[in-house]
Amino acid sequence: MTAPKRCVQAYVELTSADPEATSALGVARERLAAGRTLESVRRLRVFEIAGSALDHDAIAVRLHASTQFYNPARERCVLRTAAHDPVPAGGEEALVLVFERGGERRMPAERWWRHDAGERVEVREGVVWALAFAPGEDAAVRAAELAVTHSRAEGLFANPHVEEHRVCAGAAPPLDWMTKKVARTPRRGRRAT
Amino acid sequence: MSRARVAIVQFPGVNCEAETARALARAGFDAEVFRGTRPAHELGAFDAFVLPGGFSWQDRVRAGAIAAKDPLLDALAGQADKGRPVLGICNGAQVLVEAGLVPGDGGISLALARNRMPDRAGYQSRWALCRVEESACIFTRHLEAGTLLPLPVAHGEGRFTSQKPGALEDLAGRGQVPLRYASASGEPATEYPDNPNGSQYAAAAVCNARGNVLAMMPHPERVADLGAMARGVGGAWGARRDAALERGSDDAFADGAGMLLFRGLHAHMQEA
Repeated sequence: MTAPKRCVQAYVELTSADPEATSALGVARERLAAGRTLESVRRLRVFEIAGSALDHDAIAVRLHASTQFYNPARERCVLRTAAHDPVPAGGEEALVLVFERGGERRMPAERWWRHDAGERVEVREGVVWALAFAPGEDAAVRAAELAVTHSRAEGLFANPHVEEHRVCAGAAPPLDWMTKKVARTPRRGRRAT
Repeated sequence: MSRARVAIVQFPGVNCEAETARALARAGFDAEVFRGTRPAHELGAFDAFVLPGGFSWQDRVRAGAIAAKDPLLDALAGQADKGRPVLGICNGAQVLVEAGLVPGDGGISLALARNRMPDRAGYQSRWALCRVEESACIFTRHLEAGTLLPLPVAHGEGRFTSQKPGALEDLAGRGQVPLRYASASGEPATEYPDNPNGSQYAAAAVCNARGNVLAMMPHPERVADLGAMARGVGGAWGARRDAALERGSDDAFADGAGMLLFRGLHAHMQEA
């Protein structure tokens, strides 16, 4: 009998200013109605690693050692192995997860993991945009409005024809955020989707 | 008669403006690089527009996503509504799709997604055969349907796709897929490497319903000369190239396959 799979999350962020986040902030504030009250944008790459024998310290060492995940010279990595582990985002930030539908698996990383650890894991990668809005704004609603690009004037972060998105505000997202089945993203409310 | 003016819109990171200008000039246009910092209203002085290839804004957020929100795209949409031609090549195509100008049925209804290839990922630079389809597209309508054009592709995100099943087929039914990737025998290419990116319906280019806005992933400007076609390009075009090179004259500088699209634009402008 095989052990049940559990999932861990690794958040990777540049230690220097991120040009992608700078551009996203500028465009959202200047060109999109939902982005006028946006105060900051951060971009984090997120990996979800699903396997049966995942130990926190061993994972941290493995992520650090491989170029498949991040470059320790220019990026920091925060690992979540339990649902109560904090997310590297401020409480006021809404999170928008974006990943390519059907293209989120990272096979080279899985092959490397199997070679290095002798363990089969599933590795998925997406991008999390951490959005902070002006006080008084409903961050979940504004983030949902910005999440999906519908036209030149609406939305930015995900093209629905190729990407999936999830919005989370006021709570930590689940560790299996990418694979968790969701009915739909609510336009209001403050819960993980 | 004065030459029609074409603006080659250059956002930061665009890097194919020079060869695009040369191809347009060769076709008989007065081509000018229009920097992204210029006021949008100045586009009104031009008769046609090209968004060339490259990496606008470093492909930040998503290829073409940042440029698509630029005020210049609102101005280009206005020009397209007036019937003026707009051509997006590679990154330019990504911008037009992200801006909703192609297919232009309101909102954003397509994506140019990451290439899907067996056992590999990422950027692809290779020659692809493109078959001309029945279409009202002003860039290709002077070419006979079934004509094969060897054109280079070079992109990491060139897969036309939609979340709506059958969307590309519907567009093709309306004549909005003027170019499809094809095999050497001329059949639509469903598999790599003839279909170099996994594009749905083997779509290499999509235009709007009116046919004046075209988003194409191959680079016609890179094959303005017959002699620019790689040795690996066979078929009728390859034979023509070999004969020209053998003669050792200026024949190698005769029109390559890509020039047919720019000449098509010129013919349209002459008629208009």
